[in-house]
Amino acid sequence: MSAETPLLEGRRFEDVAVGEQLPVVELPLTVYRLVMAAGSNRDFNSIHHNTEYARSTGAEEMYANTSFLMSSWERSVRDWMGLAGRIRGIRGFRMRSFNYVGDTLRVIAEVAATRLEGETGIVEIAIRCENGAGVSVGPGVVEVELPRRAAESGTATTTTTSTTGQETP
Amino acid sequence: MTATADTGQDWQAAWQPVIDAIGKDFAEGAVTWGGDAVERGGIRRYLEPLELDCALHTDPELARAAGYADVTMPATGVIAWTIPAAWTPGQVLFASSERDAQPVHSAINNADMTLGPRTTGFFGTDIEVDFLRDVVAGERLGRRGRTLLSCKPKETAVGRGAFLTWGSEIVTAELEVVGRIRIGTYAYVPHAKEEDAS
Repeated sequence: MSAETPLLEGRRFEDVAVGEQLPVVELPLTVYRLVMAAGSNRDFNSIHHNTEYARSTGAEEMYANTSFLMSSWERSVRDWMGLAGRIRGIRGFRMRSFNYVGDTLRVIAEVAATRLEGETGIVEIAIRCENGAGVSVGPGVVEVELPRRAAESGTATTTTTSTTGQETP
Repeated sequence: MTATADTGQDWQAAWQPVIDAIGKDFAEGAVTWGGDAVERGGIRRYLEPLELDCALHTDPELARAAGYADVTMPATGVIAWTIPAAWTPGQVLFASSERDAQPVHSAINNADMTLGPRTTGFFGTDIEVDFLRDVVAGERLGRRGRTLLSCKPKETAVGRGAFLTWGSEIVTAELEVVGRIRIGTYAYVPHAKEEDAS
């Protein structure tokens, strides 16, 4: 997204506070959903759509694929930030346990840090997936860029923001 | 369980050639192109199982008003749109009628690994991605290079194998680097089932 696109709806950097909770995203992991996910993200490894095959590889059941799980983080962040923000990095996306069919995936996130890089507002979102057995993916970080109201109104300042969200001159 | 020579040291030693290859680009700088260009229909299908509602991905007019040439690909689509085609004309993909037979070719396994033990189990473990710019419908993506960054043999609940980390650049048809990705995988030999070992 370019600096010339201030009119998109969505969250602005000044609206964000460290500790803010993002809405929890719940994704029931049905066979139907896992098959749709495999078809759309092209991960046709049979462990993700074939119970019998998955069990032959040591798993208890078929389980959600990596691409789907990572995109669940994008869903969570996009739901929260709206159109105006841009995802620029994902770190710490680590599988801790399988996310089996029949379970419900919950994506849980909160604002961990904010800072300015020049005139760009950067927000680090701590994020993880949980299922019935606990944390299954992460915790990791999605880093996003958010537009600044100050820049949009042509009154950008030179303040910086620490990782605790407190502004300093 | 029958006695074998498969001691703990033996199976880990089998991974040493892979450990020795850390730093090697197994693709030798070549680009592995995604099977399809990024296009609106593929984006729509990508959004469906996620129920991901973002007009930048679905509304061309809004996307253009926002300065993009077309709808944008979801950022995490860099994986899906860099997976090569499953089949190309002239190939045989399905050679067996067994219920769980695997295709003759698949990009989603460790079969193209030329070093180390032969493994049959495989799954992704971790990912880090830097998205340098947004990608829009009409662009073609590929992964350039496949550098082995780490190899850690480990026995887990599902089998014996190794955690491997691979690094690649995400490039467009013009070879512009639009992202960098590091993918961790676990390639393993599944444990024998208890009933099989009796």
